[in-house]
Amino acid sequence: MNRMSRPSIWTVLKWVLAVSIAAIALFPIWWMINVVFAVPGEPVSLNPRLFPTSIPAGIEKIRLIFTETDYLRAYGISLLYAVLTIAGVLIIGSLAAFEFALFDFPGRRPLFGVVMLSLMVPTAVTIIPTYLLTSQLGWLNTMQGLVVPGLASAFGLFMLMQFMRAIPSDMIEAARLDGASHFQIYWHVALPLCRNALVTLAILTFMQTWGNYMWPLIVSSRPEMYTVGQVVGLFNSPLSHQTVDTVMTANLLAAIPPLVFFLIFQRKIVAGIAMSGTKG
Amino acid sequence: MTLRRYLPHYLMIAPFIILFAMFFLYPILSGLYYSFHAWNGVRPPEFIGLTNYQKIIASRDFATAMRNLLTYVAITVPAGILVALGLALLVDNFTGRWANFFRNAYFMPVVLPAFLAATIWRWIYAPNFGLLNMMLGWFGLPSVNFLNDTGTMLYALVAVDVWVSAGFNMVIILAGLKNIPTELYEAARLDGASKGQQIVHITIPMLGPVLFFVVTYGLISAMQVFDKPWLLTGSSFTTYGGRRNALLFPVMDMMGRAFGGVRFGEAAAYGFILTVAIMVLTAAMFALRGWRGRK
Repeated sequence: MNRMSRPSIWTVLKWVLAVSIAAIALFPIWWMINVVFAVPGEPVSLNPRLFPTSIPAGIEKIRLIFTETDYLRAYGISLLYAVLTIAGVLIIGSLAAFEFALFDFPGRRPLFGVVMLSLMVPTAVTIIPTYLLTSQLGWLNTMQGLVVPGLASAFGLFMLMQFMRAIPSDMIEAARLDGASHFQIYWHVALPLCRNALVTLAILTFMQTWGNYMWPLIVSSRPEMYTVGQVVGLFNSPLSHQTVDTVMTANLLAAIPPLVFFLIFQRKIVAGIAMSGTKG
Repeated sequence: MTLRRYLPHYLMIAPFIILFAMFFLYPILSGLYYSFHAWNGVRPPEFIGLTNYQKIIASRDFATAMRNLLTYVAITVPAGILVALGLALLVDNFTGRWANFFRNAYFMPVVLPAFLAATIWRWIYAPNFGLLNMMLGWFGLPSVNFLNDTGTMLYALVAVDVWVSAGFNMVIILAGLKNIPTELYEAARLDGASKGQQIVHITIPMLGPVLFFVVTYGLISAMQVFDKPWLLTGSSFTTYGGRRNALLFPVMDMMGRAFGGVRFGEAAAYGFILTVAIMVLTAAMFALRGWRGRK
């Protein structure tokens, strides 16, 4: 009980350290919120903006940015880009993971080997030729140009395989004896069993697609196809003639979807990252 | 007979394998082909042998980009991992709700898109009215133009980098910490080992494989750094790299040659040069681990 009444120096130090680091990690995000939720035109940092001062002003800024700039369209494009990528990665990846994890067929090992090898090849070497192929297909400035080249995710396949492997072969045999077709086994047995992995992969894919800056930068060069990342980049560029309020509102709105996802799914996200590190 | 038997399997993997061949295998091969050709995307490619490779290696931008990259990698990887290790050890000292809270707080910057981290920090670094310069003002220090002063630009990038990557690495290290059997610590305590000694003699060695992963992964991604320096310097395909190219990195240089200079063959060759550099470094890391393991 003595410990409770008189904390040791180490305990005090540990709390001070933990709280100050949390402040450094979170302050830029908090500061962005405060700049948006303040009367427009107030100099950005004459005071360090420790609290939001005007909620209605912030809501008005969000309304303005959606009605007076092309941000809403970029938002829609980014959302569609993310949703289609997630759907594609999950379907295509789980189909392949099902086969690679649970069955044997001629060519399985070499195919799987090549796919895993690709995890070690840096994006730097594929991005320019992939762009050239996309351009030859006539897919520049199209949704399929954004989405399709990213669908065969070796990381997704690897992650889903880890879970599919745990499915007991008795279960598959039992389903087969019950007269289930190959596809039915995948759909009714394997998919429901790795629902957790699918959700985790969906969230990680969302974060990655929403945050992807480089691929949209070269594939959607027309303003009508700009993603959130590009608009945010342009608003913040030295040549931008947007006001600080518009720029900060754009920044905050770009941060909201991933932050909300994180607050809802924090356990899954953290577990997914930790898994990719310790098993990978 | 065999085909019929295995057909369902092949049908199921077909979508993945076809897309993989199209958007991964084919680009690598076509990239290799383009790298030996001069090509502006319009006229037919013209075979020029190794000229692209020679031109890149002899160019001044390449030398600058590589020099910047070496300095950057040498600072950002160790700094990021030391901070991440510190954070993990700190969070590991809390339990229950507070452990969760601090872990999530430190992880929050990872969740933000990388482009956003760069744009937010541009405001923090802004001359005169930026948050950082305001804080310098409180101590009577002169304003620093962090993103336009060749002496500070690289460190400004490293700070953003650590702010983002520390949380990511921390989560992986934390998972590694949980796997260390507590009996080891109990035995060490009975032997009278201090907390510091326990970290040096138990935690760090037991974290070996996890730290190896974090360092290798960190090296590979740091060598391809693009979004952050690109946005911190307000780059475009015609002007990039910031003042006196102090934040010019290989991928930026490659993208500039492709989309600013419209020299696709040269850009493809650049990709291969960079990939060889990355693979040599990765192989060196694995060799180092093998050699240390055998010792």
